[in-house]
Amino acid sequence: MRKLSLFLVVVMLVIVFTAGCVQKADAPTDEANASQQEDVIKIGVFEPLTGANAAGGALEKEGLELANELYPEVLGKKVKLVFVDNKSDKVEAANAATKLIDQEKVSLIIGSWGSGFSISAGEVIKKSDRKVAAIGTSCTNPLVTKGNDYYFRVCFIDPFQGNVMANYAYNEVGAKKVAFIIEKTNDYAVGLAKFFEDTFKELTGDENSVVYKAFYNTGDQDFTAQLTSIKESGAEAIFAPGNFTESALVTKQAKELGLDLPILGGDTWETPEFIEIAGEAAEGVVFSTFFDANAKLTDNTTKFLDAYKQKYNKEPAAVTALAFDAYLLAIDAIKKANSTDPTAIRDALAKTKDFPGAAGVVTLDENGDAIKSAVIKTVKDGKFTYLTTVEPVKK
Amino acid sequence: MKKNNILTLISIIGFILLLLVLNITLGSYKMRIFNLCGIYVILALSLNLINGFVGLFSLGHAGFMAVGAYTCALLTMSPETKEMNFFLEPIVPWLKNVQLPFPTALIIGGIMAAIAGALIGAPVLRLRDDYLAIATLGFSEIIRVVFTNTQRITNGPLGIKGLPTIGITGQSWEIVIWTWGIALFTIIFMVLLINSSYGKAFKAIREDEIAAEAMGINLFKHKMIAFVIGSFFAGIGGALLGHLMGTIDPLMFRFLLTFNIVLIVVLGGIGSITGSVISAIVVTISMEALRILDADMQIGGYIVKGIPGMRMVVFSALLMIVILFYQRGLMGTNEFNWDWIINRKKKIQKI
Repeated sequence: MRKLSLFLVVVMLVIVFTAGCVQKADAPTDEANASQQEDVIKIGVFEPLTGANAAGGALEKEGLELANELYPEVLGKKVKLVFVDNKSDKVEAANAATKLIDQEKVSLIIGSWGSGFSISAGEVIKKSDRKVAAIGTSCTNPLVTKGNDYYFRVCFIDPFQGNVMANYAYNEVGAKKVAFIIEKTNDYAVGLAKFFEDTFKELTGDENSVVYKAFYNTGDQDFTAQLTSIKESGAEAIFAPGNFTESALVTKQAKELGLDLPILGGDTWETPEFIEIAGEAAEGVVFSTFFDANAKLTDNTTKFLDAYKQKYNKEPAAVTALAFDAYLLAIDAIKKANSTDPTAIRDALAKTKDFPGAAGVVTLDENGDAIKSAVIKTVKDGKFTYLTTVEPVKK
Repeated sequence: MKKNNILTLISIIGFILLLLVLNITLGSYKMRIFNLCGIYVILALSLNLINGFVGLFSLGHAGFMAVGAYTCALLTMSPETKEMNFFLEPIVPWLKNVQLPFPTALIIGGIMAAIAGALIGAPVLRLRDDYLAIATLGFSEIIRVVFTNTQRITNGPLGIKGLPTIGITGQSWEIVIWTWGIALFTIIFMVLLINSSYGKAFKAIREDEIAAEAMGINLFKHKMIAFVIGSFFAGIGGALLGHLMGTIDPLMFRFLLTFNIVLIVVLGGIGSITGSVISAIVVTISMEALRILDADMQIGGYIVKGIPGMRMVVFSALLMIVILFYQRGLMGTNEFNWDWIINRKKKIQKI
C-alpha cells in the first residue's frame, strides 16, 4: 500500500513536469547570453501570477512581454525581464520585491496589479539599502506613492477618476442629486466614492447633493434593499464603484426594480463578464477608464494595438496597455539616465514629462503619480463603446 | 544544575550569537525569510497550544493576529504618518497623538488579542469539534469586517503603511533579535507550560474530556487559559508580521492566513512543540526556495518553460508525501530531548 501511494505521487509529479511545455533550448543564444551576462539590464517584475488576482497579473504580463519584444534593447544592452510571482498575497509581495532587489540585483522594478501588493513592495524598497525605483502599473490607491519617493505609476489615481465621473454626472447627465452604492470592502471603491463626492458637492454648491449612500460587501448577491432606498431618495443618477461582478448585479437589479437612472462606474467594469452578467441592463452605463482602441491617444497606441493583435489575436485590456507603458517608461528612464545605476534611473524617471505612452501622454507629478487623460466609455448594443476623452487639469 | 539544562543554556547562547553572525553574512533577502521563520514559529506554537495540546480545533487565528497587528501599528506610528495614511477620513482624535515605544505597543497588542480571545472564548468554548471550528472561523471573519468598516480607526480597506521597523533604534540587527528572541521565549514558555500541571491537564482534556472532568479538572477554566494564552501569542506574532512588512490591511488577515498556520501545525505534528518549530522553518523557507520552479529551467539542453504556480503544485505534492507516510506529522507528539541525542551518540561510539 505504501509503495503504491509513493508510486502514485511520483507519477503525478512526473506528469506535472512534462505537462510544462518542454522546449528544445536554443543552445547557442543561451551560451551567448551567459557569456554576455554583463551586457544585460535586468528589470524586475512582480505580479500576482497565481492566486485570487492571477487574471489581472496575466494581462499585465502580456503587455510587458509584448513591449520587451518590440523594444528589446537599451543603451546597446539586452533588457531581461525577471518575473516573480506574488501569489496575490502581501507577505509574498514583500518577499518577491526583496528577492528582486537583493538577489536579482535589478535596475528597476515594475508592478503590480493590486494596490496592496504595491504598497507592501514600496515599504521594502523604502527601507532597503539598495534603493531601486518602482513603476506601478494599475495600482490606483493614492497610498502607493504617498510618502514614498521611489514609487511611480503610469495610471491615474482614484481622485482624478472620481473627479472625472463627477464632472460627467454634473455636466453631461445634468444630475443635481446623486446616490452612491459602494463596495465597502474595496479600497478602490471607497476612494473613488470619496473623491466623486467632494467634486460633486463643489460643482453643485449643495452640501446635500449626495442624497443617499448605500454599502455592500464583496460577494454580496442581493442589492434590492439598497436600491429601493435609492429609488425613494430622489437621486437623479447612481454612482456605483466596485468590483465588476457585484456592480453588474447592481445594474441588473436596478433595472428589474424599474429604477431608470443613469448608472456610473469606474474602470473595473471594463470586462466581458460585466456585460455577460448584467445583460440588457448594461446598456447605457457610463464609466471612466484608462484606454480605448478608438481613442487614438498617441503614436504608440497604434503600434501597441497592431502588435498586440498580431501576437494574441484579441482586443487588449486597459491594464495590458498600462503594463506596456510601464516598460516603455522604464526604458526611457534608463536611456535618459544613461546608466544602470538605480539612483540615476530614479532621478531620470521622476523628471518624466509628456511621455507618449500607449494609454495616453504621461507626465509624473511631484508624488510620482501620472497626470494623464481619462477615457469615458458606455455600453451600446452589448459592446463597450468609446464616448469621449477627458483631458487632465494642468496645474 | 542538571546536565541537560546546561546543554540547553549553551545552545541558546550559541543560537543568539549565530543570529548576530547571520545578520551580517546573509543578505537582506535571506534575512527577511529568516525573520519570517521566527514569526511563523511564534504563530505555529500559539496555534499548537490550542489545537494540539488542548485539542480545540480553532480556526480564528487570523482574527487574533489582526487585533494584535492593528493595535501595535496604531500605537507605534507617528502622528505625521497617521495623518498621511488617513487622507480619506481623519483618524479619531484620541488615537491621533498616541505614540508608544515598540516593546510597550507590542505587549499591548498581545494583551488586546488576549482580551479578544477571552471575549470570544467565553461563549464558544462550550462548543466542541467542528462547531467550535466554525464559530472561531466566523469570529475571525467578523473581526476582518469590523476592521474594514471602522474607517476612522483602521483606515478601512485602504490599509495603513509606514509602520516603523521592529525594535527601538531601527537598526537591522535588532529585527532578528526581536523576532527570534520572542520565538525563543515562546518556545521556552510553551515547554514550561506543557510540563507544568496545567500542561498535564491540557493533555488530559485532549485525550478524553469526560475522564478529565471526572478526575476533577475544571474543563472550562483550562480551555480558557489555553485559548487566551494562544491568542496573546497570536497577537504578538501578528504585530511582528505587520511591522516586518511595514504595512497592513484587512485583506491580509483572510482565512488563508489561518490555513497557512494550520498547515504548519499539522505538518509538524499536532501536539509537538519541536514539530511546530521545525515545520514553521521548513515551510517558510521551502515556499521561497521553490521559486526556482516558477522560472525557466535548463535541464541538459532542454528548456523547461516556467509555469507560474508550479511551486505550489510541487509543494502540495510534498505535503501529500509527508501526510501519506507520517500520518501524525513529522514529529507526531514526540519532542526533542538531549537524552535521545546523547544515547544515540553513545550507541554510535560503541559500534
